[in-house]
Amino acid sequence: MSDENKSCSNAPQGEPTLNRSAAPMWIIVVTLTLLFFGGLYLDSHGGWFNAKVYTPYNSAERLEAFQPQSGAAAAAAQGKRVYESVCGICHGADGAGKPGQAPPLAGSEWVLTKGDNRLVHIPLQGLAGALSVKGQTWNLNMAAMGVALSDADLAAVLTYLRTSWGNKAGEVTPDEVKKIRAAIGGQPQPLSGDQLTKLPE
Amino acid sequence: MKTGFAVFLAALVALGASWFGFVYGSLAQLGGQKQTVVLQSTDNWPPQRTGEATLGLQIYREYGCAACHTEQIRQTDAANEVSLLSLGDHKPQEFRDFIQSMMIVPELMPASNCIVGNLETWNGDVPVTLYSGDDSTVVSTLAAKLKSVGVKSDARVVALGADIQRGWGTRRSVAADYLYDQPVQLGNLRAGPDLTLIGVREPDVNWQLEHLYAPRSTVKNSTMPAFRALFEVRKKTGGLASSGALVLPPEFAPAGDLEVVPTAEARELAAYLVSLKANVPLYEAPFTPVTTAK
Repeated sequence: MSDENKSCSNAPQGEPTLNRSAAPMWIIVVTLTLLFFGGLYLDSHGGWFNAKVYTPYNSAERLEAFQPQSGAAAAAAQGKRVYESVCGICHGADGAGKPGQAPPLAGSEWVLTKGDNRLVHIPLQGLAGALSVKGQTWNLNMAAMGVALSDADLAAVLTYLRTSWGNKAGEVTPDEVKKIRAAIGGQPQPLSGDQLTKLPE
Repeated sequence: MKTGFAVFLAALVALGASWFGFVYGSLAQLGGQKQTVVLQSTDNWPPQRTGEATLGLQIYREYGCAACHTEQIRQTDAANEVSLLSLGDHKPQEFRDFIQSMMIVPELMPASNCIVGNLETWNGDVPVTLYSGDDSTVVSTLAAKLKSVGVKSDARVVALGADIQRGWGTRRSVAADYLYDQPVQLGNLRAGPDLTLIGVREPDVNWQLEHLYAPRSTVKNSTMPAFRALFEVRKKTGGLASSGALVLPPEFAPAGDLEVVPTAEARELAAYLVSLKANVPLYEAPFTPVTTAK
């Protein structure tokens, strides 16, 4: 009986009202901290929601590093590597060439030949004198940069420039490079534009 | 209730956010699965199952196989590895010196300790793993250097993890593996082994049938119950066994003039089991397959 009385006397008068008070500071701080660490975790483990990236790879770059290196993909990667360390210094990483240094390779008629005989001769012998590339005459010298490269590396890099930057031409095989290298012999002389044009494509 | 609309909105936002995260997000990410190409080949993955194997999935489901078997391989890490296959005409000590001398190559610097460490207690036996780690440039540089001195080496990508170590899989399972599974029988308890590769481990349909009828006849310590309901035990016609009857060891064969013939359901289930062979490398789960022909 007394309990009932007590509860009656303690009952709130009327409908409770909602107070609009700011959330305590500590809740805001904890929430933001959790969001921050959640964001960090997502960034390092989420693979940016790439459907191809599963654990344990974490990111597309890491997955790429574990692709077995052989076959066509490996040759392309090797070609790019050689290009950037040997050819790209003058011809540019994008193959657009540099005025006064080297003509463009992207869209160049000397790169997009039907066969690869002419193209393989250029790095193996070098060039001297005037050469018209994409309607512009370049009066420069190119050393025989390909002599120091192995057949496989030279074939890979030539394939790379025949298939990159919008270029679409056939690939160059190490065997062809080997054959042409043997035909040129030990003392390569730089080619002039006329000599180059006389070579079969 | 004065705040009814606010409560409704708050509930909508909370449920909508989780719907977006769990349902829509996953669908947008993985919903468009298609056949993919097997790495370094022109084969498509996964292959479409035969009709019998497709029906078998429903038998697998009906008998609750997924209660004790999983179809998912976990992978904890991956490694790029270079192992030495043969020394050619080099002596082990000479080769060790050669390796030491190579450690000044910039690409090999980060892996120096690992490679030299692997050769410290080496007595000349091949194959030996020279390097195992993350860096693919180390692998290609090392392989090229070894090739140039006439030493035979092998560069490979290996998937690591307990499931892979015990031979249940060769790589982690990915969404594409389940493209033709409806419903997907992932399973979450391993009272029995994982079945992702059962079609590679036991490719013989008759082995599967025998195992279903009398598990202990093929796997000595199997805890699997015998699925006798999938088989018909009947009298031999004219004392001769039917062509489809199981050939069982005497202690498991029924006594007397009886034969065990698998029903259509049993054949479908066995066809499904031998179709489980997710052992090909994919872009999203790469590894170098072991080739026996060399």
